[in-house]
Amino acid sequence: MSGIALSPAALSPVIPNRIRKLRPKASLHAQQAFTSDPYVLELAETLEESLPSSPSTPLPLHNLRHASSEALLSTPWPSRRHEPFRFTDLSFIRQSRILPVHLPPAVYAGALSALSSPSLLQRVSQLLSQFHHHDIFWSINGIAAPDLTLIYVPENCHVDNPIHLHYTPPHATTPTPNTMHLSNPRVLVIVEKGAHVQITEEFSNENQNHPYWTNAAFEAVIGEAANLTHSYIQTQSFRAAHIKWTSVRQESSSTYKLTEVSSGGKVGRHNLHIQQLGPHTVTELSTLHLSVGDQTQDLHSSLVLDHPRGYSRQLHKCIVTHSQGQAVFDGNIKVNRYAQQTDAGQLTRSLLLEPRATVNVKPNLQIVADDVKCSHGAAISDLEQSQLLYFQARGIDINTARRVLIFAFGGEVIDKFPNSSIRDKVRSQIKTLLDPSSDSSSL
Amino acid sequence: MALTLPTHSSPTVIPLRRTPKPTLRRANHRVCVASGGAPLLQVNDLRAKIVESNVEILHGVNLTVNQGEVHAIMGKNGSGKSTFAKVLVGHPDYEVTGGSVVFKGENLLEMEPEERSLAGLFMSFQSPVEIPGVSNDEFLVMAYNARRKKLGLPELGPLECFSYLMEKLELVNMKPDFLNRNVNEGFSGGERKRNEILQLAVLGADLAILDEIDSGLDVDALRDVSNAVNRILTPEKSLLMITHYRRILDLLNPTHVHVMDKGKIARTGDISMVEAIEADGYETVST
Ligand SMILES: Nc1ncnc2c1ncn2[C@@H]1O[C@H](COP(=O)(O)OP(=O)(O)O)[C@@H](O)[C@H]1O
Ligand SMILES: [Mg+2]
Repeated sequence: MSGIALSPAALSPVIPNRIRKLRPKASLHAQQAFTSDPYVLELAETLEESLPSSPSTPLPLHNLRHASSEALLSTPWPSRRHEPFRFTDLSFIRQSRILPVHLPPAVYAGALSALSSPSLLQRVSQLLSQFHHHDIFWSINGIAAPDLTLIYVPENCHVDNPIHLHYTPPHATTPTPNTMHLSNPRVLVIVEKGAHVQITEEFSNENQNHPYWTNAAFEAVIGEAANLTHSYIQTQSFRAAHIKWTSVRQESSSTYKLTEVSSGGKVGRHNLHIQQLGPHTVTELSTLHLSVGDQTQDLHSSLVLDHPRGYSRQLHKCIVTHSQGQAVFDGNIKVNRYAQQTDAGQLTRSLLLEPRATVNVKPNLQIVADDVKCSHGAAISDLEQSQLLYFQARGIDINTARRVLIFAFGGEVIDKFPNSSIRDKVRSQIKTLLDPSSDSSSL
Repeated sequence: MALTLPTHSSPTVIPLRRTPKPTLRRANHRVCVASGGAPLLQVNDLRAKIVESNVEILHGVNLTVNQGEVHAIMGKNGSGKSTFAKVLVGHPDYEVTGGSVVFKGENLLEMEPEERSLAGLFMSFQSPVEIPGVSNDEFLVMAYNARRKKLGLPELGPLECFSYLMEKLELVNMKPDFLNRNVNEGFSGGERKRNEILQLAVLGADLAILDEIDSGLDVDALRDVSNAVNRILTPEKSLLMITHYRRILDLLNPTHVHVMDKGKIARTGDISMVEAIEADGYETVST
């Protein structure tokens, strides 16, 4: 079954303690025969201080910390003079300023079933009840999700480290014909008033040919003036079904930015639903879909603007490089009666690189309000002859030129990932898919 | 096919000391002996049509450029000057329907556009296209490496190319942040022209065709561009410029001036013909 691995940054909702201050003890020991390393003492102290204090630390964790802190009192930082590190130089760590990585203490990231705070539980139920039934896959997830991963960011809390949700597919047991494992991960994100957080969802694969069905759901509530930056990367197996719901509710003056790059799955279907709950909201949606095989990438999105002075931008791009590849886009933006002075833009561009590749795009901007600024456009094309010639006229062969231009087309979306390590990773994934023969570093 | 890389950025210094015939070299203007060199480009009765509409634009162009010569083509708007230049580099909008083109002894028309470039033919586009998503430095490094590969030299990484690119930027008087911008995207007219010359500086050429490189340039930019061209193209290299204006002719000193009319070279003369054109227009010279 798919699991959710939180990155180490997210692994500290544990409620820790502080045993004691190390400093006084250290000076005491300094006069004794064995030496304490002031650097190690200082590091230990920084780490202890970075953990929030709580009376309810579980005993095993308490014991672990106690024993470790005792040990550190008499352990020096390893240097080349220590036999085990004779050939391994760690001085560059020592020369750096060490900053502990933790989520702020009031942030919760973990299983809903492990949540004990009654007030938080109540807040979750209140918000969850506001999401409506969407479709069959939403409900299948709803009855089957074994737990709910909750990310709760309290009021005005800015989480600096991105939270990374990694969904790994089921391990490849020898699949019997006509069977599929189904997993139903579900995530709820609550970003309270004035809070900021970045979340990355990554659906990866271990075996390109393994059939399974991922049926994921992601819900987010973004409070007043709060900010959620969401990255979504899908590279599941070419025989997998990947169905994903993203449902977002945005309070007034909040910002939601989504960047999606999907290239995996036999079928990849993203249902994206965004509901505005107040004026002055900002919504930016950017999607890159890539079909390099006999596969379908499908984005069905709906954005409902009901309040004045909203701002929204949607960019959908797809590249189909296989004669049996398909891309589907149905993007609905509704600018309702009270959404005056809304600025809404929608653009879809498809690059079809095989004569029989298909794309079905239905950009759809419905405007009821009269005082609005809306733009939309759709283009389906092959590469531009004049651009290809420009490369050739400078001595670059046509295959390289094609590869660079195709990649540049997708690069516009990849560049929007807020995190450079994700940008680099996705760039090299896409390069490899577009040109499996090349090593991705040479482009 | 011989191919040279522009290894000397300032060729003006050495000849003065080394050669007894400094007038053959370019000091500050290029001064060449007419028809001194071997034939570089021989165009014979070249005919070409637009692929899409089947309309013939070039109706039999004849032109020979020898090594070290500087030619200028003038002529009315729509007479086929750009089409001629684009046909020479192999633009897919046009199909050659007759005639021949020999470049350095080889049949140019049989070569792919990139082979023509690697063989030493460079054309600066009258309206260079924007390439969104591809940065100028990435593009230049790719083009430079394609050239090195052709010469059997190892390809260089972006960092190794950096100082080479900086030197060329200086040559065309451009700021380094130019390299980070996407190729021609959002460039002003003048910036596009400089960018074409930067590419010429990086790649070098045996024959450079400059299609209205002077249009839309202010006086300073024009001086930068002509200085750069004079320094990039050593005296044995050849130049074919398409222009409407006298200013650049005075800076680059053509040995031959042609007037194109209705898809043909209607007249050929020297710089003195330019005065007649400026006084009376193209009608008098082309008939
Ligand atoms: N790709 C093309 N498609 C349609 N018409 C073209 C194209 N290229 C050139 N032409 C036409 O051919 C004629 C010559 O154009 P061009 O070579 O650009 O002239 P010049 O550079 O001398 O001003 C013009 O009438 C122009 O409109
Ligand atoms: Mg022209």
